[in-house]
Amino acid sequence: MATAANPTFQYDVSETAGVKVANREVNGATGTLALVAKAGSRYQPFPGFSDALEKFAFKSTAKRSALRITREVELLGGEISSTHSRENVVLRTKFLANDLPYFTELLAEVASQTKFTDHELHEVVSDLLKYQQQAVYSNPEAVAIDAAHGVAFHRGLGSPITPSQSTPYEKYLSGDALAQFAQDAYAKSNVALVATGPNSAEVSKWVGQFFAGLSTGGAASQYKVQPTAASKYFGGEQRIPSKAGNAVVIAFPGSSAFGTAGYKAEASVLAALLGGESSIKYTPGFSLLSKATEGFSQLTVSTKNISYSDAGLFTITLSGAAGQVGTASKNVVDALKKAAAGEVSSEDIKKATALAKFRALESVQTLETGLEATGSGLVHGSKPYQIGEIAQAIEGVSEQQVKEVAKSFLSGKATLVSVGDVHQLPYAEDLGLSA
Amino acid sequence: MSAPSITNYIVKRPWLKRWMTPLAQWYTDAAGYRRIGLKADDLIPEESEVVQTAIKRLPPQGGLRPCLPYSPRIPGSSPTPFTCSISHTLLPAEEQIKPHEDVEYLSPIIREIEAANKEREDLDHLTVRK
Repeated sequence: MATAANPTFQYDVSETAGVKVANREVNGATGTLALVAKAGSRYQPFPGFSDALEKFAFKSTAKRSALRITREVELLGGEISSTHSRENVVLRTKFLANDLPYFTELLAEVASQTKFTDHELHEVVSDLLKYQQQAVYSNPEAVAIDAAHGVAFHRGLGSPITPSQSTPYEKYLSGDALAQFAQDAYAKSNVALVATGPNSAEVSKWVGQFFAGLSTGGAASQYKVQPTAASKYFGGEQRIPSKAGNAVVIAFPGSSAFGTAGYKAEASVLAALLGGESSIKYTPGFSLLSKATEGFSQLTVSTKNISYSDAGLFTITLSGAAGQVGTASKNVVDALKKAAAGEVSSEDIKKATALAKFRALESVQTLETGLEATGSGLVHGSKPYQIGEIAQAIEGVSEQQVKEVAKSFLSGKATLVSVGDVHQLPYAEDLGLSA
Repeated sequence: MSAPSITNYIVKRPWLKRWMTPLAQWYTDAAGYRRIGLKADDLIPEESEVVQTAIKRLPPQGGLRPCLPYSPRIPGSSPTPFTCSISHTLLPAEEQIKPHEDVEYLSPIIREIEAANKEREDLDHLTVRK
């Protein structure tokens, strides 16, 4: 499928041994193979399950101990890692191109034969989970984004990506429960493999050999991957006192991922227009928020459209000194009002369109983000990323559409989360938002 | 914790095993630990890192052996190995550990830990041949 116009962006999608495989031929000496499972925190049956599943990756399997896996990978000079997001658990491997069969076998083994022993859970995984909690909950921005999801979507997408330290998640976790969850999470219909590298054509051959034994779904139990209920936006306000720092997140219902029904290209253009972070050094940049917050030296602002398979969250994050965050959030809402009233030069919108297009295409091309986006598209049954169509959709956004989407944000119910010194941080009422 | 043992040598030879089994059963019974309510695995010295780790890995219900001092006034208490030992008494016959109850509950975990330690050692001294 590599066409002359875009020789290396396109993924070749096929199905081998009942598993969806996307591969992309890239010349070079190394390759990557990732397994994307639809088992992120959105689909977990109890809190902490996705975290534990992620941290159980590459632990002892029926064939090899965790130590042996580590030593073997060290000898081959590869890299293995695992992460999870709200929708997916992703196991990544990077390796010298010749080692493709070894790493395919390793991923299949991890997905189908991990032992989930209780002692590994207590001695290794639960400690890792605690470090993860500390890392997440000492970052006010992460806390605010997480709480914004909770306020905006309640259950499903709203469930915390990592359970907080005060969540009683331990009572749900056990080796047995995780094994049952894994059987469902790593079932053939629930995973996709994404490969890039010089010999990616061989991928389906090895996948056919090693992944044939992958489970076809676990028995009925309370630990199954939770069914997808369509995400619904609620909105509201939440204030979380914290000593770690200050952050305010102002969020609105955004655009879902490309290729799904809720995709709105204008949301990503508005995100680039509001911006806040400059893409060029030593200049505030053209974005409305960097201009609106120019006077504040102890403040960072950023705007993102976080997209999922059936919903999205458009977030404006402010963090820094409490007083400045408080004052600047008013400026931010004023800037949004300006965009809604159409008081933005068409040149700025052109710049924003170009930036939005760059970001969308770059995120697909960059391995780290592209692997998960592609795999996620496959397991969620939407269209795989098509470079040409994304570019077209973003170029087609008109000034009127950007204005409309900003207007809809202001008229609808907003989500406001304040974390930190809440004594100084604003309420939605103070900002003129309805939450 | 492992001591030199001829068990494997005997088990591999069926005729020898047949011959030795009654002898072994008599010996284990005569050792007398079952009569004060102990199992063979209770006799493993616990002053080693391996056994300590193994005890931590025991499933919760098997983790604690009854250790309440016996008194007719304490409901639910029973004369334990400890009290039997200091009072120089044996349990009544029906309370003694039966041969079929004398199962390994700790040794499999100890063997697992020892295998993991050995693997670690071996992998640390690994030579790569290509």
